[in-house]
Amino acid sequence: MSQDTDLSRRRFMGAAAGGLLGVSALGALDLNAAPIRNQPRIDPDDFTSDQTETDVLVIGGGMAGLFAAVKAHDAGARVLLVSKGRLGSSGLTPFAKGIFSYDESTAKMSIDDFVAGVSESSLGTSNPVFTRQLAEHSKARVDELKAWGFFDSAIYHNSFMRPIEQRNIPVQERIMITHLLKDQGRVVGASGFSLDENKIIHYRAKTVVLCTGSGGFKSSGFPLCDVTHDGTIMAYKIGARVTGKEWNDGHPASAENSGSCYDNWHGQVEEKPSITSVDIHHDLGVDLNYTAYTQGPGGRMGPPGGPDQEGAAGGPPPMEDEAASGGPYVPEAFRRKGPPPMPPKDEGLLSGLFGGRRPEGGPPGMQGNVVGGSTAGMAIHKSEGLVPVDETGLSTVPGLYAAGDALGSYMSGGIYTQVGSSLAGSAVQGAIAGEAAAKASQKVNTVGVSTSKLAAVEEEILAPLKRERGYSPAWVTQVLQGVIFPNFVLYIKKERLMQAALAYVEELREHHVPMLLADDRHRLRLAHETENMIITAEMKMRASIMRKESRCSHYRLDYPEVDDENWRAWINIWQDENGRMQLEKQPFGTWPA
Amino acid sequence: MPIHEIAGCIGCEACVKSCPTDVIQMDRERNKAYIAYPEDCQICHLCRLNCPVNAITITPEKSIPVMVAWR
Repeated sequence: MSQDTDLSRRRFMGAAAGGLLGVSALGALDLNAAPIRNQPRIDPDDFTSDQTETDVLVIGGGMAGLFAAVKAHDAGARVLLVSKGRLGSSGLTPFAKGIFSYDESTAKMSIDDFVAGVSESSLGTSNPVFTRQLAEHSKARVDELKAWGFFDSAIYHNSFMRPIEQRNIPVQERIMITHLLKDQGRVVGASGFSLDENKIIHYRAKTVVLCTGSGGFKSSGFPLCDVTHDGTIMAYKIGARVTGKEWNDGHPASAENSGSCYDNWHGQVEEKPSITSVDIHHDLGVDLNYTAYTQGPGGRMGPPGGPDQEGAAGGPPPMEDEAASGGPYVPEAFRRKGPPPMPPKDEGLLSGLFGGRRPEGGPPGMQGNVVGGSTAGMAIHKSEGLVPVDETGLSTVPGLYAAGDALGSYMSGGIYTQVGSSLAGSAVQGAIAGEAAAKASQKVNTVGVSTSKLAAVEEEILAPLKRERGYSPAWVTQVLQGVIFPNFVLYIKKERLMQAALAYVEELREHHVPMLLADDRHRLRLAHETENMIITAEMKMRASIMRKESRCSHYRLDYPEVDDENWRAWINIWQDENGRMQLEKQPFGTWPA
Repeated sequence: MPIHEIAGCIGCEACVKSCPTDVIQMDRERNKAYIAYPEDCQICHLCRLNCPVNAITITPEKSIPVMVAWR
């Protein structure tokens, strides 16, 4: 081994250990020291377990969870909402500042035209049932939010609590749900642990609504480090079908302080939310990734002559101006000359998620160079998650519903077609799933799970605390990032590199997941999150290898064309009885067989 | 450093509850919040914005190396 290689390896190992021990320990780290055995700071045998019971269990405290809980209650069900974080302060909801509202009385476009336009922009990947649902219900949800004070503050917790307190809906925060419980073919509840005390909680429920969001791989510069595909993976493990894993959200990060969400978004989190327009776009796929791949990094995302470039002699020109030939196909009607324009004062920004009003700020890169993959691991909003069997968000597992980013509704397809529709879609879908779950609960008698099954779940929850030797979640996550994040693996795809990455990911799943360690509740959470990210990474690679064409935000360098003959289909993923990951096509415009 | 300092804490726990990534914990004996896992801070500023006495200082640099898709 050459000296250089050895040095870089040592640096890498030091950095990885820093993730576990904290930066203060990094300087003093003895790189030659033998690894120490796991010395838990809490005793796994101290954990107690509680059981609680409800009609509708809502998992997740963002926009979808809020409406699911409220509407399930209003439909007559007993509801309990449980969240890994605080209501209105976890997942992507607290950072989403634009919300779409279709007002029939003032809209310049009919709902039929809107649905058709979204389908045209998304090359058929959208599900018109959910696009229509968004348009038909968004204004009613936005009006309710207005009445609760949502638009009066940049911080959403208080306005979210208003309807919850009015209805006396119980909310349990800082509980990480790790398992869905299934009995006699249907979901019967969920289990998880408290982040604040040594306690496992089993929730028995007649129906469950997953509002757990989607997730990333703890990428940098985008506030999704707490969303790790938890709901999707626990549903996959009880037999639910999952979709959308080949799509990519294309947000870059600023080159300067790439890891700071706040600075990347120029403080947009401090803005009050606002209503966005219903215009249809074709945005934030992987065009920028393609330009960076073919021409090299060093570009910007901002408009030509924008505020960051005036008088900036010698600076690199905007990336979009240099756009290379080839690359992701954009339908004629949605092509722009140059980059997307900065929005006028009262319009949303370019982001499908973060649309807001901040003409002086804007998304990453509006004021400087960009780097890639700030959302690595996340697909286009609403394109990944549980496969619905109908318009209520019922999954392929009886009694289990999903809404918002946890539901693969394809509301806008495999590309961003509106600003602000993600937040509105979560509200709309949450409300519909909550009401449907409440009605379905009325037809279910008592539910229960055997004591032995619950004991097995408890063993799985606590396993990382009980292992004496193994791998830190932070290190395993960094290895995963190193394998998956490169532009030439996750975004500008080709068979050979994806097969190589898949081999690494399989190794992590087979050999490292069963050896993840935790020494406290925080790292117990990280251990479970890491497993969820690794299984998701396997799904992303397998779906991306399977889709041998390019469409919307899925781009294959070895299959660069749209293939309508073979690929007017979504990809569904499920686990067979032997625990193997299986994939199948589901034609656009159909429900699962 | 990401979340850098909590000075003048009144023990209300708003930051602990509002942190999406569980970076901040309570010191029960002193009834004050402390930064337990700075390496997991995503620098989103929700803790600072939720703090009623403006006790939290945050800087834009991550404490661990940042992995990106290209640089």
